[in-house]
Amino acid sequence: MTSITTELAAPQRRSMRKLRRRWLVWAGVVFAMIVLCLPGLWVVLTAFRPNVEVLARPTIWLPQNPTLENFLKIFGLLPQVQEGLPVAQYFLNSLVISVTSTVVAVLIGMAGGYAFARFRFRGKSTLFIAFMLSRSVPGVALSLPLFILWSRVGLIDTPLGLITVYLAINIPFTIWLTDGFFRQIPVELSEAAQIDGCSRWQAFWRVEFPLARSGLASAAIFAFLTSWNEYALASQLSRTVASKTMPVGLMDFTAQFTVDWTGMSAMAVLIIIPALILTFIVQKHLIAGLTFGGVKG
Amino acid sequence: MNFLRSPRAIPYLLLLPAILVILAVILLPLLVSLWSSLTPYVLTRPASLYQFVGFRNYERLWGNSDFWWAFLRTLVFVTVALNLEMVLGLGLAMLVNQITWGQRTIRTIMMFPMMFSPILVGFLFKYLLNDSIGFVNNALYSLGLITDPVPWLVDGTLANLSIIAAEVWMSTSVFAILLLAGLMAIPAEPLEAARVDGCNGWQVFRHVTLPFLMPFIYIAMTIRSLDVARAYDMIRIMTNGGPAGRTEMLWTLIARVGYQNSQMGSANAMGYVSILLSIIFTFYFYRKLADARAFMGGAQ
Amino acid sequence: MAKRILVTALLAAGALTGLTGLAHADFDYGKFPGYTLKVKLIGGTQYEHLYTRIPEWEKLTGAKVDIVSSKNYFDLDKEIKQDIASGQITYCLASNHTSFAPQYGDMYIDMKPLIPADELAKYVPGTLAASEIDGKLVQLPRVTDISNIYYRKSLYADKANQAAYKAKFGKDLAPPETYDDLKNQIIFFAKPPNLYGTAFAGKDEGATGRFMEILRANGGDMFDKNWKPTFNSPEGVAALQWFKDIYDAKAVPAGTVNYGWDEIGQAMAAGQLAVDLDWPGFAGFYSDPTKSKIADDLGFAEAPVGTSGHHGGWSGSHSFSVTSACDNKPAAVSLAVFLTNDDSEMMEAQAGNMPTRSAVFDKVVKWFKANKKPALAAMYPIWEKSLDEARTPPLIPQWIEVSNVVWPQLQAAIVGQTDPKTALDKAAADATQIMQDAGLLKQ
Repeated sequence: MTSITTELAAPQRRSMRKLRRRWLVWAGVVFAMIVLCLPGLWVVLTAFRPNVEVLARPTIWLPQNPTLENFLKIFGLLPQVQEGLPVAQYFLNSLVISVTSTVVAVLIGMAGGYAFARFRFRGKSTLFIAFMLSRSVPGVALSLPLFILWSRVGLIDTPLGLITVYLAINIPFTIWLTDGFFRQIPVELSEAAQIDGCSRWQAFWRVEFPLARSGLASAAIFAFLTSWNEYALASQLSRTVASKTMPVGLMDFTAQFTVDWTGMSAMAVLIIIPALILTFIVQKHLIAGLTFGGVKG
Repeated sequence: MNFLRSPRAIPYLLLLPAILVILAVILLPLLVSLWSSLTPYVLTRPASLYQFVGFRNYERLWGNSDFWWAFLRTLVFVTVALNLEMVLGLGLAMLVNQITWGQRTIRTIMMFPMMFSPILVGFLFKYLLNDSIGFVNNALYSLGLITDPVPWLVDGTLANLSIIAAEVWMSTSVFAILLLAGLMAIPAEPLEAARVDGCNGWQVFRHVTLPFLMPFIYIAMTIRSLDVARAYDMIRIMTNGGPAGRTEMLWTLIARVGYQNSQMGSANAMGYVSILLSIIFTFYFYRKLADARAFMGGAQ
Repeated sequence: MAKRILVTALLAAGALTGLTGLAHADFDYGKFPGYTLKVKLIGGTQYEHLYTRIPEWEKLTGAKVDIVSSKNYFDLDKEIKQDIASGQITYCLASNHTSFAPQYGDMYIDMKPLIPADELAKYVPGTLAASEIDGKLVQLPRVTDISNIYYRKSLYADKANQAAYKAKFGKDLAPPETYDDLKNQIIFFAKPPNLYGTAFAGKDEGATGRFMEILRANGGDMFDKNWKPTFNSPEGVAALQWFKDIYDAKAVPAGTVNYGWDEIGQAMAAGQLAVDLDWPGFAGFYSDPTKSKIADDLGFAEAPVGTSGHHGGWSGSHSFSVTSACDNKPAAVSLAVFLTNDDSEMMEAQAGNMPTRSAVFDKVVKWFKANKKPALAAMYPIWEKSLDEARTPPLIPQWIEVSNVVWPQLQAAIVGQTDPKTALDKAAADATQIMQDAGLLKQ
């Protein structure tokens, strides 16, 4: 055995090591993905199985009698079995509220993050800490007064009301993230562009913004997922289909005594799919910041 | 007016929208609930909001052992969960960073748990860990590893571990994706230079990668430490603080006192004491963040 | 002869007046053209079916119904409390429940003056009485819940079981009559981990309620006349001991102290339990072969009695209430009556719920028989009988708060952290504090 390996030239040994390393990495990734996906997968599979399979012991994984019945039920396409729920409406509300609050939060956060990353000004630390602490306010301290305030202003049961609240939740976080990413970008780049004749504003859009794309993309993904999945405030500030979001609609499947697992799972699948798709699309920008290439660090 | 036109005003103007939103949504309600913690406010008797009882709610808290146990338990829960998530998230991020083919798909799959609402995660884990019809016990039984069902959500230690497991499952991906973005933002030259100088993988990690990542780690920790309160919905569904208060966290206690018992004054007092917890974490991480940045010689 | 004709004529005249009198006794739903009635209803798949009748009411009265909120009952309770707190009661009709109603103060009106007595007489008397708070009818009951026994017929019919049971206890194996019988049978049937005797609600109001049921069946109660907590009496300790005994004997799943109604229902439907003291809402679930494994093995029996010879009879009703802030109370009352009239109750009963109108019980049993639902047809007479001893929890605003100090102590005793007497004493001390703070306890 040893004779074979010693006869291999050094480059071949290195590539064998690399190959083994690649296999290990892939094994690790696959294992991690399985652990991450397994519980969630149960929910997805349950959406396609009849109720009696949910109760089986030992647990049935792959549906033995796969069915689309659960989806039809919640859309109201099987009226003799069950009233439908206004799922399409919930979906639309979720989409509008999440996308709007994400886009605005990223823009406002980008402005704030840039301010913290590039400027020195009076009250900077205080303001930064204040933003952080604004997230430390416990939900119960916030929820009732917020409700009273919103009802006085007429924002209860409106998408705008929820969007505003989600902005407040997401902004501290987009600010910190973008602040971190802007700091990674050397100031010299912007200065070089300005020497070449750009205004500071142009330098930002041409140089710093593209480089911070990965940071902005991650900030956007988080803000979106936080808003998309948020339950407590949405359930409080929404009333009817005018503003009810999907997670709130999920609770419609819990009656006083029973949990309709198949219905809830079908709803969960409807919640997950758009999130997955949007995440997949936005990710393109996550690696855009990789091209650090010809820049002196 | 002159100030607003000067370049010195730029950072303030940039921050203005953010400040306005926070003021409207956070500060005003905060003041109202601070006031209500000084009253015997009961939800169903609105008039009680206008009676002033001073610090009575806070005094009662002092001797309330249930509250302090919940405080301690929450502290332990947050510490353990965050550290686990960070370590696992870092490992995951480093693994995924090595993949070149299909990375986008892998990244999306990695974020799968983040697509689940905390309420759904609560129902899911409550079901999986159900001692008689749940998947975990059934699997262990089929594999011959146990003969008696394991009461995952009943035994004191196991119940707390179950909750931590559910929270770690739900949120490790957050760390992973943040750290992955950070890893991708590390400039290539220092890494190349280190390797050329003869450092092995571990040394490169410890002396080059990790210092670059530290600011991101602390940002992520801060964000998550304040975000972890989302776990409330999950815990409420899984155990609602029981059995016999073994998994009682500040959030379940406060919500029960405030909404089910309608004792809003007491609940808000509890809430304000628990802010101390958040402030401790936040200040700690901010100091660490500032130190890490100073270490890297970055902008202050 | 003439006398006979006269008598017949008088009788006929009397009958005619009687008939027309009956025609007038039909409730007048009124006409409210152009009015929009705002309502807040409990949502969720279990409750929505009834609301398909709303367009019928709209046609009848000319009004329109605007559903301003539709939530599950925990969120609805939270929402209503917030409305009270912020003074935002802009709706006329709301879903309610006998357990929650006492908390809402004078938010809802007394409906007795607005509904003729003969209409009220059509409701099940006990149910209607339980809907009153301080003599005011603040809610019209929609469906009632009371627990009775579901059991696995095959286990009881099994010859080997019967012989063993008779040998051990000297009685015939039949659905339990007393709580002692029930305990013996639970322990007898248990063959963990595949079969347990039963499962019980281990947390939240469910746990307190089940405890209260046995406590009352033993002759005790939660409070005395002066609102002093009395559940730590010997009857209370015996009630708590009942749970502890079956838990220690491992005749129930270890996780039952964390179970809510849905887990018990899932376990029974999966064939994991021999006996289940549970709500009528589960009958439909258990007897549906697409949802449950025990659909063809389901038996019904009345709940057991305690040492006092009476049932615990824990019961509650979902209901509708009309707000004091309503600007058109007759319209709201009209809708409330419509949604609980004989036809509406028939619709609820067909889905397996307990109706609140006396006439519906017989009608729906006939319907079940005609529609091939023998299980439900067999169940209803038993459930109807048990309504005679239906009792709600104490109808005070502090009920949920008191419950929240009781169930953690119940759990502590059941899992062996403390002994039953100490646990109940602590709960009673906490409850006394609550009642004193509320000003109800006159000491």
